[in-house]
Amino acid sequence: MNSSHATALRSFARHLQWLLTLRLTVQFATVWFFVWGVVVLAFRFFGGKDNPWFMLGILGLIPLVIFAAWSAHRQQPAFARMRANYDRLNQCGGILMAEETADMAAWFGQLPEAAVPKFHWHSGRAMLLLFISASFTATALLLPEKLARFGHRPLEIGQIVQQLQAEVKTLTQEKILDDKKSDDLQKQLSELQKDSSGYDPNKTWEALDHIKQADSDAAKTAAEEAIQKTESLTEAETLAKAMDQAAEQGMDNSTAAQAAQDLASLMNSAKLEEGVLNGQIPPELLQSLAGTNGLNPEQMQKLLSALEANKGNFNSMMTNLANLKLIDPATLAKCQNAGHNPDFAGLALYLSQCQGGKCDSQELFTWLHKRCRGGPGGGGPEAPMDWDNDTSEANLKFQEHTLPPSSHIEDAQMVGVSKSAPELAKDDVTAQHGALDNAQAGGGSGHAQVILPEHRQAVQNFFKRDEK
Amino acid sequence: MPDQILKPEELQPAAELVRKTLEQLDRILLGRAEVHRLVLIGILSRGHILLEGLPGLGKTALVRTIGQIMKLDFKRVQFTPDLMPGDVLGTHILQETASGKRELVFQSGPVFTNILLADEINRASPKTQSAMLETMQENSVTLLGTTRNLPQPFFVLASQNPIELEGTYPLPEAQLDRFLFRLLFDSVDADVLARIISGRRRGELPAPTWQMERADLELLFATMGKIYLPTPVAKYIARLVSATHPGGPEATAPVNKYVTYGASPRAAIAIAEAARAHALVSGRPSVGFEDVKVVAPPVLNHRLILNYQARFDRMTTSKMVTELIGGLDETGLNLPKDVELAGGN
Repeated sequence: MNSSHATALRSFARHLQWLLTLRLTVQFATVWFFVWGVVVLAFRFFGGKDNPWFMLGILGLIPLVIFAAWSAHRQQPAFARMRANYDRLNQCGGILMAEETADMAAWFGQLPEAAVPKFHWHSGRAMLLLFISASFTATALLLPEKLARFGHRPLEIGQIVQQLQAEVKTLTQEKILDDKKSDDLQKQLSELQKDSSGYDPNKTWEALDHIKQADSDAAKTAAEEAIQKTESLTEAETLAKAMDQAAEQGMDNSTAAQAAQDLASLMNSAKLEEGVLNGQIPPELLQSLAGTNGLNPEQMQKLLSALEANKGNFNSMMTNLANLKLIDPATLAKCQNAGHNPDFAGLALYLSQCQGGKCDSQELFTWLHKRCRGGPGGGGPEAPMDWDNDTSEANLKFQEHTLPPSSHIEDAQMVGVSKSAPELAKDDVTAQHGALDNAQAGGGSGHAQVILPEHRQAVQNFFKRDEK
Repeated sequence: MPDQILKPEELQPAAELVRKTLEQLDRILLGRAEVHRLVLIGILSRGHILLEGLPGLGKTALVRTIGQIMKLDFKRVQFTPDLMPGDVLGTHILQETASGKRELVFQSGPVFTNILLADEINRASPKTQSAMLETMQENSVTLLGTTRNLPQPFFVLASQNPIELEGTYPLPEAQLDRFLFRLLFDSVDADVLARIISGRRRGELPAPTWQMERADLELLFATMGKIYLPTPVAKYIARLVSATHPGGPEATAPVNKYVTYGASPRAAIAIAEAARAHALVSGRPSVGFEDVKVVAPPVLNHRLILNYQARFDRMTTSKMVTELIGGLDETGLNLPKDVELAGGN
């Protein structure tokens, strides 16, 4: 074949190979981008975190290009067909085709000038699809997480989280929680608010319950400790005040020294410096108290002030916990009651009458326990119990409680959808359908009372009573 | 075979003869160069040609001029409804011999010639038309059990009037199939008419200034036999004819919709021969796709049988063939639909 036509024919075949490769690459890449985008979007939709490995999907184009080149090579028409097309498009009149059987060199001079036929690929649609597919993948990769999880309604837990954050803050301020624990809880709350989903709220609710329980447990522990220490401080304060009054009434030094020892013993047993709540008693006072000379009046006043301040701190802390509903009002009242000093006049008289340090310390402690903590058989000051008069109902009224405002069902908001199956109560009672259900003629059972569901448990409990 | 492909110097004498013939035709008959080429192609292909056109367009003049240029015997038969087969083929008449005996002597008809002009062939009865079948296919006449060969070469150039249908007998499909081409004669344009009336008193044609010898015609036929038909072109012809059959793998939607019967294998043979002749006329030793595209319409346009739906939709065989050629991929390259191949030159 004429060298110029041979070169043009090879170029013609090569152009077709490149064009088919490019076309297949665009088609494969379109599909690949779409699949890649769907996978990324699905991963992110179902809660997966953004992952830099997503970008490695671009490497998937390399095998696609190789596969496209291989497929294009397989689609490449046979050489005879390429030559026939070249002959046709260059208007060679079959002379090049005739080379399949004979040497046509004698005719090459009459052939038109060699020119490589052009391929024209109408690539608009393919390129548009590729652009859309690539844009879809880019969108799937760059979409903000909130939008990526567009099917997940966030759980409305902002108010609860705020409350828990306030609780943690208060517990931290009151030194009930250490800073590390506080930071952990605050971090957990922030993540919960960020990741909460109405699609499956169980996990969020459980986490919130856990934090709430942790707060409540810490508060209860602190409250019990505060009550215990307040009682000890009250005992110490009562004894101190009694000692102060007894000193005015002429308590001798030895008794004063013994009482100071007992007071020191009480202070030690209070263990103010242990536990989560640390009391603050000036150390010099404790040293003087443990000494043989006891406390002078000035030191005694300082001690009383310190005890009062500690009680006040505990009371303030309990009030804060009660305001956040970490402790119930009864516990707060118990703490406040524990801070009330009983009448110590009898104790002061007893101390003033003890001469030579012969007071019975055990009796002293029993008295203090009985008066300050209720003690065995106590429960406060002894009161005469008479059975003569009826309890007067004068000036009594029910305690008022403000019920939460009711709302219509139309105003309800869906906060989440639980996937867990509802649980049936063990003692669930099958609903009755009417007053005459199961009635038998002449059986005396014509009257049957319909029991509302909310009353059934109470009715069952009533009939479960042991018959006397 | 490789040694059968013509060298340029081998093809050149035949090409020169063709050139001279066309030159004479174009000089004598003005404004019909394309028809002249096709008629010459038909003669080189040893095919019969059906000329279709209105009266006075020069059909007879064309045939007569070809006969003069090629120095071939020419006879004309005006076909009429009462024309009998014997009037065309010849008949036996009773004659007395020198010895006094009487015997039937065959008196040859006008068909015994090189070029027969069957004027208004569709006016003859089917009986007479069918008498032409053997002459056109076998180049012989059989009467009373005796077969007589016609002089070679033998061509039938028939004409028919497409507008006067009253009193005519449409040619049967079998006979139509024996015509290599059906050429449509259109009116010439005003410039040509002006040249005709200004240069031709009473329409008399000028005499040819050059005539082909018998040996020249033999040379042309011999050269025709050496024109090479490449395999891809042969496959294209086969696919083209196959595509005219409704329901076939290559059939297009219009073919499936409008065609009742497609072209016969004789059509494929006719296209191949005509394409060879066109290559020779073009001065090439091998057939290209463009040769096929030139000769395919006149070969196929009388071989497709359309249905009534085609008549309703004013679909003609010429339109159908044009659409078919335009829609068929010549080499079966099977490029994707969105990839287009443009010409190099």
